[in-house]
Amino acid sequence: MLLKKAKAGALLDAIAAKERLFVPADDRGTSRFVAYGAGVEPRFDLLNTKLPPKDLLFPATETLYRWSRDGADLAIDSAFAETDPFTVFGLRPCDMASVDRLDAVFLTKGYVDEFYQAKREAATFVAATCAHPGRACFCDSIAASPHEAPTADVLLEDAGEEWVVTPQTEKGASAVEAWKPYLEEGDAEPIKAACDLKVDMAAVPEKLKGMFDDPIWSDIGDQCLTCGTCTFVCPTCYCFNIDQDVREDEGKRFRCWDSCMFTDYTAMAGGHNPRASKESRVRQRFMHKLTYFNDRYDMNLCVGCGRCMRDCPAAVDISLIIDRIAASEPAQEKEAMAHA
Amino acid sequence: MPKTPIEVSHGCARNNGEPYVPQVCRVIDIQEQTHDVKSFRLQTLDGKRPFACEPGQLGMFSDPPYGECMFAVAGVGEDYCEFIVKNVGFTTNHLHELSVGDEVGLRGPYGNWFPYESAKGRDMLFIGGGIGMPPVRAFLRHCLAHREDYGRIDFVYSASTYDDLVCKDDLFNVWPNEPDTHVHVSVYHAKEGDGWDGAVSYTAPYLEQVFAEEGLSTENACAVLCGGPSLFRTCRESLLKLGFAPEDIVTTLEARMKCGVGKCGRCNVGGVFICLEGPVFTEAELARMPRD
Repeated sequence: MLLKKAKAGALLDAIAAKERLFVPADDRGTSRFVAYGAGVEPRFDLLNTKLPPKDLLFPATETLYRWSRDGADLAIDSAFAETDPFTVFGLRPCDMASVDRLDAVFLTKGYVDEFYQAKREAATFVAATCAHPGRACFCDSIAASPHEAPTADVLLEDAGEEWVVTPQTEKGASAVEAWKPYLEEGDAEPIKAACDLKVDMAAVPEKLKGMFDDPIWSDIGDQCLTCGTCTFVCPTCYCFNIDQDVREDEGKRFRCWDSCMFTDYTAMAGGHNPRASKESRVRQRFMHKLTYFNDRYDMNLCVGCGRCMRDCPAAVDISLIIDRIAASEPAQEKEAMAHA
Repeated sequence: MPKTPIEVSHGCARNNGEPYVPQVCRVIDIQEQTHDVKSFRLQTLDGKRPFACEPGQLGMFSDPPYGECMFAVAGVGEDYCEFIVKNVGFTTNHLHELSVGDEVGLRGPYGNWFPYESAKGRDMLFIGGGIGMPPVRAFLRHCLAHREDYGRIDFVYSASTYDDLVCKDDLFNVWPNEPDTHVHVSVYHAKEGDGWDGAVSYTAPYLEQVFAEEGLSTENACAVLCGGPSLFRTCRESLLKLGFAPEDIVTTLEARMKCGVGKCGRCNVGGVFICLEGPVFTEAELARMPRD
């Protein structure tokens, strides 16, 4: 089945008449997934949006419970609520791969995060492939293919003037069934250019295990401003803080995105901080993305979207860091050389 | 008889509903332990124990409108959970202002626990310093409650001064009267007129001294360690020097925590989360982890 790009507007109107719909669009000087409606111009020509779609499943701030005090008495009410179904239309394969990572974190390893689960189950993901990946894109050598999104409910393969539409899940099949009036029979050849930027990840997770004391961390630490931009624009960074909003005798406790780049992220009462130096925090960020997460969930915590490289004010470039790790000598050899 | 290897379980997380939302509990007892340490007993509003938990597990104690903090559960009774809290920061300062009858939030239990099953039949050497008391106390109390399952029990405990010793009643009146249970207390600094006439020593050298004087053996022993960063480092070294196998040294770690269920990201050591797979690890396991 084919969907003509010129006719996508009518389909979006039809989806939006039934449920909430999120599309990539410009928004107040940036771009992100916004609720489709009057005045929203979808930007399917953007590769990935400046801000990642993770907030659709894991909002930047989310209330966990409300409390109120009356003298010594305390009342606590959970803020958990079911989510109405919604569709995310046009996210890129790298961002779909980031949803796989968030699923692993929030839905496995003993505890299921209900707040995340409710939104995840309500979501239908329609992924659009990238005919011509961008300059900072390197998904095909780290986590995904720009031309596939195996876990998306529906895949839209870019064939120039139209998309080739393929449902990939049951949810996707029933969505496409409802789209029929807007689709055309036929076939087209998807455009499949590869990423220009490549990294060689093969040896990186293992090599990093011997690089805890490598000078690379102080080099990056010197360069990094610890502003946290990389973690907020990253589609896979999921670390959060739990904090509160107080209005006299009542308030709410919420979680909000946090960053391992910040000093107080690990600071303990009494003054001890296991990651007080920039070097140690930078090491944590890259070790987590490229080796710790691999051990725990069997995948990288980087999907090659290039956002952190594009937005870093200090030009910290994860692809160059991976190159440097890949080119480094294994720890034992280094030690042997030092003793020679 | 070959001893059973110490086995610490790390896969014991369980889903207990909404993991971030606390239950309301009432403070039923407060004891002033030292000038800056208080213990609190918490009970549900209908008079029950807030949760069943194993020795070494953690509980998140909150006091709206102030913050919430993770503590090792220091002990459980029929109808309460007990926490020992040192006043070191914003939230703990407010916890110290609580009165009996006040309602607070509590969620948990989180994390794994001490290997009390595989340690059966062993001589137990507990080592604690200052506010490192609560988890050690929970395990020690478990051993005392099942006294016939364990061999000789020694507890080496130190604090900065006599005034800083936590749980003095347990240390001087309760535990020394238990069968084959030996409590050794030192302080780092003796103060004129504080009434202390015992040992004055840092924990690690005092541990080595006690070990020699008491003629202790590592043969069929299990060491359990909890304390601040410098005590932790020096006592780990001492235990290895005394001849303990890394597999026979059990420790409990701490870190800043927010979620308690291995999701929020900050309490990791390498690829493991202290709140979920920890806080209890053997020295052998720590040696394989990055020094994060």
